[in-house]
Amino acid sequence: MMLDKDKLGELYGKVGVGNQTMLGIMGNNRDVSVGEIFMIYSQRDGHERVFFFRVLGLENYLRQVDDISRVAGTLMVEGDSYLSGIERNMLLSVDGRMLGYAEEKRGDWKFMSPRRLPDHLADVYRPIPGTSDIPVREMLGSQTDGEVYVGDLQVGEATLDVPVMIPSKFLPMHVGIFGSTGAGKSNLMMVLIKSIIDSNLDVLHGKRSEQPISAFCIDPHDEFAKGVDKYGIQSIIEAMDQKTRTDVVGDFYYLTTHKKATPREVKRYAKEIRVRWDEIRPRDIYSIFEFTPQMASFIDAQFNIHRENWIAEILALSEDPDGTPKGTLHAVQRRLRFLERSPIFVDSGSSILGDIFTAMETGRILVVNTSLMRDTEQFLLTTVVTRTLSDLRRALKSSGNLADFEGQGQMRLPAPFFKSIKPKAKAFYSKGGTDDNASVRDPRNLPVILVTVEEAPSILNPELMRGRSVFKDISRQGRKFNMGLLVVSQQVSVLDNVILSQMNTEVNLRLGNEREIRACIENASVNISGFENEFRVMSRGEALLTASYREMPLPVRIPLFDTVFEQDKGRYKGKESKKSEKHVL
Amino acid sequence: MLEKILTDKFREILKLVFADISNQQDRRDEEEFSKDEARIKEKLLDTVEPYPADSMLDEDFLVAAVDGSGTDGLMMLDDIRVHLLSTATVVLDTNSRAENLFSPIPRDALEARLGTQPHLDVHWHSGVRNDAQKKMSETLENIYPLKDIVDLILPFFRDFSRNQMTSISDFTDTEYEKYLPELREMESLISRAQILTNTVVHEELRKVSEYAALRNVLTSDLNPRYLLLDGGLSVFMHFIRKYPSMPSGFMLRELCSLARKEGVVICGVSKNHTIPFAHRIAKIAQDVFGDDAKWFCLLPSKEYPGGGLHITEDRTYIPPVLAVPYLFSFSRDNRPSRIDFDRIWWLENVFVPRDPVATRENEKALFRDLEFMSRDARWYGYPVPLAMAHEACKLSFEDLRLAREICRDVRIEMGMERRKTDPPRADYNL
Repeated sequence: MMLDKDKLGELYGKVGVGNQTMLGIMGNNRDVSVGEIFMIYSQRDGHERVFFFRVLGLENYLRQVDDISRVAGTLMVEGDSYLSGIERNMLLSVDGRMLGYAEEKRGDWKFMSPRRLPDHLADVYRPIPGTSDIPVREMLGSQTDGEVYVGDLQVGEATLDVPVMIPSKFLPMHVGIFGSTGAGKSNLMMVLIKSIIDSNLDVLHGKRSEQPISAFCIDPHDEFAKGVDKYGIQSIIEAMDQKTRTDVVGDFYYLTTHKKATPREVKRYAKEIRVRWDEIRPRDIYSIFEFTPQMASFIDAQFNIHRENWIAEILALSEDPDGTPKGTLHAVQRRLRFLERSPIFVDSGSSILGDIFTAMETGRILVVNTSLMRDTEQFLLTTVVTRTLSDLRRALKSSGNLADFEGQGQMRLPAPFFKSIKPKAKAFYSKGGTDDNASVRDPRNLPVILVTVEEAPSILNPELMRGRSVFKDISRQGRKFNMGLLVVSQQVSVLDNVILSQMNTEVNLRLGNEREIRACIENASVNISGFENEFRVMSRGEALLTASYREMPLPVRIPLFDTVFEQDKGRYKGKESKKSEKHVL
Repeated sequence: MLEKILTDKFREILKLVFADISNQQDRRDEEEFSKDEARIKEKLLDTVEPYPADSMLDEDFLVAAVDGSGTDGLMMLDDIRVHLLSTATVVLDTNSRAENLFSPIPRDALEARLGTQPHLDVHWHSGVRNDAQKKMSETLENIYPLKDIVDLILPFFRDFSRNQMTSISDFTDTEYEKYLPELREMESLISRAQILTNTVVHEELRKVSEYAALRNVLTSDLNPRYLLLDGGLSVFMHFIRKYPSMPSGFMLRELCSLARKEGVVICGVSKNHTIPFAHRIAKIAQDVFGDDAKWFCLLPSKEYPGGGLHITEDRTYIPPVLAVPYLFSFSRDNRPSRIDFDRIWWLENVFVPRDPVATRENEKALFRDLEFMSRDARWYGYPVPLAMAHEACKLSFEDLRLAREICRDVRIEMGMERRKTDPPRADYNL
C-alpha cells in the first residue's frame, strides 16, 4: 500500500550521511529545535517504511561556503557587503538518532528497532500538528498504547494529538519518575492519578477488560487533592455523580495525619492515618534504617519472643538483656523512639491498614498526605503498606484454596491485622464461595497495585537494599503479585541497582546535573545514548519515556492537570450524562 | 620529499632563483616603472566612488556571467581522450528596490532561455592522429552556435581594420587577400595546428564552450547590462598572418560585436592578471587613497594620449589586441585583479577624445557598477555573478570520479569492451 506522504507532514529535507543509528539530514532553513521528530519515507527493495528520527543537534549550513566564520567576519567588517541569493543556500544540517521504523504488514503497522537504513537521499518530513496526528498514531500504535495516559507525543516544541500511555500490565514491572525540583513531578503524579481513575471508569463501564488499577500515592506537599492551581483530585471526585463516586472512589480517598486540619470539602473523603505497632514487622524497620548485625539479631530475638508486641517490649526494656552486646538496646531504642512520639504509629487503637488493604484490592486511589509527617514516618508507612499488601498477595500466590490462604496469611502477617481483614481478604481472593476448599484467584487477575515510593533514595539506596529490605523482594517479584512500585526521585545515581535493573518504565523529566543525566541515560530501559543535549534543554513538563517493552524512547509533553481535567470533566457524570470533549491540543 | 624540502640546500636554491629574478627582471622593470610612476599616480589611477550600502538604483539591471570547467581526461581510450566540459551561466538582478541585492533570476526562467544549467558536454579528441585538426574543427563547429564562417571572421577584421574591412570583398588588395581561402573553413582557421597538444585542445574547447554560453545570453531576451567572463579578452594572433591563430579569437570578436549591437558590456575578469608591477601600483593606490580605498588603474595602449606604459612595452600581450585592460581592487584584503573591455565599445562609450575629465567620469561610473556587484561577503571584492558561475560549473574530484564510474557503466550497458576509467596511474597506486 502506498502511503499518503502529504499526511506525514511538510517535506523538510533529504537524508545525507549516516548509519542505522545516527543520521545526518540536510534540511530547509526552518525553526527546528532539538528534540523534534522527523519521519523519513523510504522505499527500498519494494519495502515501504517510515523511519522515525529524533533531532539531537543542529548546525547552520551555507551551501557553497566552506568557511562560514570568514563570511560572518566579512559581513561584520565590510558594512556594505551582502549575500546574493543566499536564501536558497541557507540550509540546516541536522544530526540525530534513528528511533526505529514503522512498516505495514497485513494491514497493521509494526514498529521495529533501528536495524535498517532509509534509502539514499530519502525524503524527510516534518510532522504538522493537525495533519500528521492520525498516521503517526497508527504507525506508533505499538509504542504508545496502553491504559494509563502520561502525556502527548512531543515533536520539538509542539505536540501531536498522539496520546502516550503506559499499559497497565507493565505497571507491576515498576515505574520510575525522575526529575529535579520544578521539573513537573507533582503535576505528572496528578495526571497519572486522573488517568488511573479514568482507566478504572472504563473498566467499570465495560470499555476495558483489564483489571482496575489501585494506587497508594504519597503526596509529600499535600498538593494532589486540592491541586496546584485551580483543580485537583478533589475536583474529579466532586465532578462524579454519587454512583460513580461510590464505585470508583468508595467512601474515602484521602489519608492524612490530622483530619481536623483538612479542608472541609476534602474532609468528607478523608481518613486519619493510624498504624498500630503490632502491624509493624522488624523487616519494615530494617527497610528504613541501617542496623548492625548485632542490633538486627537482638530485634529478631525480641520478635521471636514477643511477636506483635516486639516494639513495645523493646521500648520498655531498661538494660541490655543477657548475651546482648552492651549498648545494643540503646541503639535500637534510639531508632524506634520516634514511634513513641509519632501521631500515626500508635501502640493501641484503630488502624487504617485494613482500609488501605480494602481500597487496594478494589481498584481505588489513595492520596496520602505526608506533608506533616517526618521522613521516617513517611518511609515506615510506605514500607508497612507495601509489605502488608505484598505479603497478602504472596500468601495468596502460595495457596490453592482459602484454607491454604488462611494458613499462609497467619504465618506471614501480624496476627491481629490478619484476623481483622481475613473475611474481606477471603472474599476478594476467592474464586467463588467462602468455604475452605474454595479455589483462590490468581493475583494477576486482581487489581494492579501501584505503591508510590517518594524521595526514593532515602529507602531504595544500596545500603538499605543490601539488607533485608521489603523493597528488594518487591522489586524482584512484584510482577508475580501484580504489584509495582512507582519510584519518584530527584536523583537516579543514588538508587540501588536492584531497583534500577528491575524498573521497566521510566518517565525521565528534566534533571538537575550532568551526573544525573548520565545515570538516567545509563539506566534507561532502551538505548538513549546521545540524548544528553535533550536533557539539557528540557522544559518543565517535558519528559522522555523509556520502556523495556518498547523500541522507541518517546518524548512526551505532560499537560497541566487543569487542562486535562477541563477537557474530561464531563465524563465523570455517569453513563447518561458523560460528555467528553475532543482531545484538543 | 619533505626531508629534502626542509633542508638548507633547498633554501639556498630558492635564494639563487629569487636573486636572479631580482637582478635580471626587477631591476629593469624598476627602471621602466619609475618612468611610469608619476603618470600612473596622477592620470591613470583613481578611486571608485561606491554606491552607499542602502542605495536604490534609478534603474535596476541584470548582470550575467559565464564560467567553465572541465577535464581532458574523463576517460582515456589509448590515444583518444574524452573531454568533459561544464559551463554555467548565472544571471543576477541588482534588485536594489526590493532590497534583495543581486538576487538570481529563477532557475526555471533561466533554463527556459539557456538550457539546463550547468551545461555538460562531452567531446573526444585524438591529439596524435593526422586528422586532429579536422576533428577539433568539427567539435568547435558543433559547439559554437554561429555556423557561418564569414559572419564569424568578419567582426575581427572589421574591428581590427577600423571598419576598413566590412565584407569579404574588402579583402581584395589587402595583405589578407592571400589568406582568404583559409578563412572560409573552421579547420583552416586553426592556423597553429602544430601546437595542438591535449592541453591546448582542451583549453580551446573549454573557451569556445564558454563563448557559446555567452552568445546564448546575447541572443536571448535577457538583455543584461553587463556580461562577465572569467579570463581576459585576449586574442592570440598569428605572428605572420596578423589574425587570430585559433577560431576562439574570431569568436571572441564576434561576441564583442554582437554585444555592442545588443547594448551589453562585455567584461573579462582575470585574477591572474600578468600585469608587471601590479603590487607597486596597488602600493601607490594605498599610499595616495588610503588603506580602505577601492581603486582602478587604466593600462593604456600606445594609441592612448600619452602612449603606452614603459613597463608593458615588451609585453606584447598587454594590452590585449582590441581590448582595454584596467587593474582594480575593491578590497584591501585581496591582490588586485585585471578587467578587460572591448576596445571598440570602450572607444564609443568610455573614452571621450580630448576630454580626460569626461573619460574619467565614464570610467568611474563603470567601476561604480562593477564594485557594486563585488560586495558579496563570500567573495568580497570579486564580482558575485562570476563567483556564482564558478561555483556552479566547477567539477570536484568526487564529481569526476562519479562521472568516470558512469562512463564505465554506460560502456557496459552498450555491450562494449570493459575498460578501466581511472587515470592510468591508479593502476600502480600512484
